[in-house]
Amino acid sequence: MVLSVENLSKSFGKNLVFHDISFSVGKGEIVCIRGKSGEGKTTLLRCLTSLEIPDKGTIKINNKYLCKEENNAIKYAQKKELQAIRQEIGLVFQNFNLFPHMNVMENLMEAPLFLKKDSYANIRKRALELLKSLELEGKEDSYPFQLSGGQQQRVAIARACMLNPSVLCFDEPTSALDEETRGQISKIIRYLASAGIAIIIVTHDNAFVDEIAQRIITMKDGEITIENQ
Amino acid sequence: MEAKVLRMLVPMTLEGLKVTLGVFAVTLLLSLPLAVVVAKLRMSKNRIISKMTGTYIYIMRGTPLLLQLMFIFFGFYRVPYIGYPFSREQAIVIAFVLNYTAYFAEIFRGGINSIDVGQHEAALVLGLSKTRTFMRIILPQVIKNVLPSIGNEVITLVKDTSLVYILGSSDILKAARSVSNVYAAFSPYIYIGLVYMVIIAVLTRILDKIESRFDYYR
Repeated sequence: MVLSVENLSKSFGKNLVFHDISFSVGKGEIVCIRGKSGEGKTTLLRCLTSLEIPDKGTIKINNKYLCKEENNAIKYAQKKELQAIRQEIGLVFQNFNLFPHMNVMENLMEAPLFLKKDSYANIRKRALELLKSLELEGKEDSYPFQLSGGQQQRVAIARACMLNPSVLCFDEPTSALDEETRGQISKIIRYLASAGIAIIIVTHDNAFVDEIAQRIITMKDGEITIENQ
Repeated sequence: MEAKVLRMLVPMTLEGLKVTLGVFAVTLLLSLPLAVVVAKLRMSKNRIISKMTGTYIYIMRGTPLLLQLMFIFFGFYRVPYIGYPFSREQAIVIAFVLNYTAYFAEIFRGGINSIDVGQHEAALVLGLSKTRTFMRIILPQVIKNVLPSIGNEVITLVKDTSLVYILGSSDILKAARSVSNVYAAFSPYIYIGLVYMVIIAVLTRILDKIESRFDYYR
């Protein structure tokens, strides 16, 4: 299993978001997490990407602990290791959060350059390949505001893929798209899954879930039910 | 008569410009980078650091710059233990830098707060360090947002330099006053008013240029 979550709990103050959640995602699998708004879908995603600290439980990526429970407290991996594990799990934000002052290439290359993943030339080559496969050729020097919503989303996907993640999370990927670009995003997600990336999608778009999910996790009242498609 | 006035005023103005522009440039050069640091301290999660920075800003904004100049030059050496007799130039630089850093810091704080938290989160998920995130992602966007307010303060600073007269420094306004006293004329003040306007016209153009350099994105 690429990602396994065991007994994960999270509450904000007295407000319980979810309790004792366990599930796992395999290589190239597409899992949808659905539920009404306020059921904690996004919070779960934020826990997986270390934007939020869970209260209890374990998150393992490629059999390495992102965090685990020790003496009733959450303990994260050591700094160096944590940074490496974090790179294994990418996130495409609902509103993409591209860096507006950087062009497409700079958005893609910023993190790998900082993390010294490879030489400048190789990172650049990888970025150009990704842009090509996501039909963004010729947009290298464009700034985010010059792109359509669908194009911005694909730049965000490319930016996340620059770090070669094993898991890629999507927060409401269809919310900002029209019918046409929606067809495109399912194609892209299937393509990424076929390349072996485990995909986790948080959405309340049931039609999209039916179309793409291999497994569905439904969140309700802080608990989950899992069904296979 | 007017020829005599000008014959005396022009060389004195040129001398005075050194003071006016010198105080202006040194204050800007030192206080802008300092203000970024102070803004970060003010926003620190450490209560003591944030409170202390807040008090500093309150004192600087709560008292006149003229009083601050006087305190640092005439009053500070009397302070027990830390007192030190600063020279006139030192006192001017210290007072102006401390004062303007406080104002700039509050502008930067507002600018940093205005950046969407999503930018921090995106950088975090991509594995950028805190320093890298601030320097490469946050600060460039902050600078674009705060430029109009900074520009306003920069223009105020040009005129505030005239306060150095209180420590006996000869800036351009002092030149006007001397000439006015000698010839019992008011015209020197008008000429110096025009000099200020020229300086500010040039600055406005420079500020506009800088702002338009950030127009490449929205």
